Amino acid sequence: MTLALVLAAALAVACVVAVALPFIREPEPESDALDDLDDAERHRLALLEERDRALAALKELEFEHRTGTVSDEDYRAQLGPLRRDVASALQALGRESGEVRPADERN
Amino acid sequence: MARKASPARLVIALSVAAVLAVFLLYTSIAGGGNPSLAPSELAGRTGDVQLAGLVVGPVRGDAHDGGLRFRLKDISGNSKKSVTILYSGSVPDLFKVGRHIVVDGELRKGTFVADPGSMITKCPSKYAPKQSGDSD
Amino acid sequence: MPELGRAALLVTLGLSVYALVAGAMAAHLGRRRLARSAQNALVASFATTAVAAAVLLAALLRNDFSFTYVARTTSEALPTAYTISAFWGGQEGSLLLWLLVLTGFGAAAVSLNRGWARDLIVWVVPVLAAVSTFFAFLVVAVASPFATQTAPADGAGMTPSLQNPYMLAHPPLLYFGYVGLTVPFAFAIGALLSGKLDERWLIATRRWTLFAWAALGIGQLLGSHWAYVEVGWGGYYAWDPVENAALMPWLAATAFLHSVMIQEKRGMLRVWNVLLVILAFSLSLFGTFLTRSGVVNSIHSFTQSSIGPWFLAFIALVVAVSLGLLFWRLPQLRSPTKLESPISREAAFLYNNLLLLALCLAILWGVVYPLLSEALRGEAIVLGRSYYDFFLRAFGLPLLLLMGIGPLIAWRRASFRSLATTFRWPTGVALVTGVVLLALGAGSSIPGLVAYTFSAFVITTIVMEFARGTRARKALGAASWPTAFGSLISRNRRRYGGYVVHAAIVMFAIGVAGSSAFDSVADAKLARGDSMRIGDYTLTYSSLDERASANATEIRATLDVRRGDRDLGTLQAGKNAYTIEEQVSNEVGIRSDKLTGEDLFVIAEQINPDGSIQFRVFVKPLVNLIWLAGLVFLVGSLVTLWPDRREQRRLVARASEAGIPATS
Repeated sequence: MTLALVLAAALAVACVVAVALPFIREPEPESDALDDLDDAERHRLALLEERDRALAALKELEFEHRTGTVSDEDYRAQLGPLRRDVASALQALGRESGEVRPADERN
Repeated sequence: MARKASPARLVIALSVAAVLAVFLLYTSIAGGGNPSLAPSELAGRTGDVQLAGLVVGPVRGDAHDGGLRFRLKDISGNSKKSVTILYSGSVPDLFKVGRHIVVDGELRKGTFVADPGSMITKCPSKYAPKQSGDSD
Repeated sequence: MPELGRAALLVTLGLSVYALVAGAMAAHLGRRRLARSAQNALVASFATTAVAAAVLLAALLRNDFSFTYVARTTSEALPTAYTISAFWGGQEGSLLLWLLVLTGFGAAAVSLNRGWARDLIVWVVPVLAAVSTFFAFLVVAVASPFATQTAPADGAGMTPSLQNPYMLAHPPLLYFGYVGLTVPFAFAIGALLSGKLDERWLIATRRWTLFAWAALGIGQLLGSHWAYVEVGWGGYYAWDPVENAALMPWLAATAFLHSVMIQEKRGMLRVWNVLLVILAFSLSLFGTFLTRSGVVNSIHSFTQSSIGPWFLAFIALVVAVSLGLLFWRLPQLRSPTKLESPISREAAFLYNNLLLLALCLAILWGVVYPLLSEALRGEAIVLGRSYYDFFLRAFGLPLLLLMGIGPLIAWRRASFRSLATTFRWPTGVALVTGVVLLALGAGSSIPGLVAYTFSAFVITTIVMEFARGTRARKALGAASWPTAFGSLISRNRRRYGGYVVHAAIVMFAIGVAGSSAFDSVADAKLARGDSMRIGDYTLTYSSLDERASANATEIRATLDVRRGDRDLGTLQAGKNAYTIEEQVSNEVGIRSDKLTGEDLFVIAEQINPDGSIQFRVFVKPLVNLIWLAGLVFLVGSLVTLWPDRREQRRLVARASEAGIPATS
């Protein structure tokens, strides 16, 4: 019975320590602000997702053409619009950051 | 890309309408289900119903030869009334006096004649504190 | 030791409340150390719950009957494996298991995603903590596993029908499934709370959803197999409310898994995805409410207990808050991309979702209808098997067909020409199959025939995809055909893993169609030496034996089986009479034909004093495909779940490009 209480007390103490740890480790931090995305960064992330989505769609079209799911005719028809999507996504990113940074999409 | 309005709303609306039509079709063909009653509520009811209750002995007869006869009373233990059941067909293993069962059928001349094979017994549980009428 | 268990759970509750409050404050005010502290609390709550679980497990293994729970669910004679399974065999223990899995998954979810989704995690922590708080509260205040009593000489023991290996696997798998759905829900709500409505919540939770969905699927299949071989009424699914309780969230999760792909590729259906994940999580809570509260007449019902109202209140709270948050963020969720054509891959996925949801809601209606009609008309009206079968066919058959159409149809807009080219072969094979089967007599069940025909369509598309993909890889320079095949799958895990899962579903559909639409049944009372015929089988009842086992008397009838003039050996069917529990169990005899997957299923319904036996015999064609489908499903799920390092690198790279700090 007492063993149970001792163990319970030890458990409780350990948990309190775990919870207080960040404050114990850094009693006077330089900044306590949560690393967060500001609006500009959030916008950039959305553009990056748009770019990756366009690139993925292009890759998928290539794949499906190679396996024969998409016919030559349909491939030619869809290639243009998808390439335009990628271009505009990259352009939007370029405007955002002032320089164009191509993604590492080599496979 | 296409500049005309997206057909999405129309597509979804039509699909939902189709699904609802399927529902309506079913209910108009098959109607609703059967009422689920306790034995004390059975008196005077006609038509197919489902009866849920506690098995009361003695259990007589042969389910595969002439029919099994036993009585069924309310699970809640509020009523002392019980109904005579005549059952034929498969009898689940868990069937015994004191078990909760569910059976479909109709009341005919004072005896509840069960649809063959319609008996279901409840798995006895270890989750419940003892209730009135519980035997295990 | 029960005090240690109780104390540990109390600490869990405290940690959960802290993680909820501190986590919410930290996210709202933007305090880094407080956020970290809340996260630590969440992880610590797993440790404390584990301690409580260890206490209960130890009590079970020592047969410590001073624990009320142990006395109620086990006995001295109970084999160790089943003593362990008693952990989740009762109300309190199963709630503790739920809490253990929940805190474990919560700790893992926040720790594993630290690298690239930290700003999102700060909001996920309070949501996970809120759910933990509820379950911790239940085990502390409402249904504690650590109630004590003066120890009786022996425990009440476990129902014989639960003493089998299924009890070891079926409930834990289902719990991994139910609880696993909490993680995508928490991330979705976290995304709504924070306003960070980018794709990261989807990507972070994709594997969790897959894992939960796979566990739920396999758990259900195990339950069906249990019903088939152990309960032995001749079927594997009874549309019982508790069975449906697991099926509904599984269907919603299936819809979610598919619509997530549309959001990833086209940016569409964002609001829909959030709704689906809320639905899936709410259904999993509702499912466990149904199972525990005894509110619906069910063969499984655990009890009329006081726990019901708590669950209902929590579900209502979850739904209200989630929908409120969704409504609040609606403007930001609207996506610019629109559906272009009703004949496209996006549309096919949309139809898939609508059908899955329609089936899910039809089942929900069937489950809830008795409760509603009782509340409104004073009389509970139950909907029977025919209701569920109708909707399974009405919505399930089109879904089956869509599995073959969706993966191949063009994105955005499919022209009729492309449709004709793509689906030429599958349609041809399907039509030929249909005609051949019709000639062979499959017209006796139209839904069965349709199921087979659609299955042929889907199988053709899957084979075509694998064949063409392998050929394309070989053309790209793979060393050999097997290498081409292997690299095809490893580089396109989601697509081809998905195809394997689809193949499993098709096998499942064929098995279900065969065993339910084309089965046969015969009843006969046989004296020793008599024979009966069913299909082209002849069974002769040759002898009746009785033997004693550790805790039961086993009575077995031996039947000689012949097909035509071939001797197929013997089958045994009978009953076990358990002495202590005073219960009789059915022990069915099953002969599975290895070649055709057909089962000869014998039930010795009634053993008469004169030695004659009332037999019920089924012939179930193709039923073993159902169980085989489970294995294929497992393989497919593993392929899709397998970690993809390339994808992970890409995600981290993108996060750092956006400026999300990666360090802790």
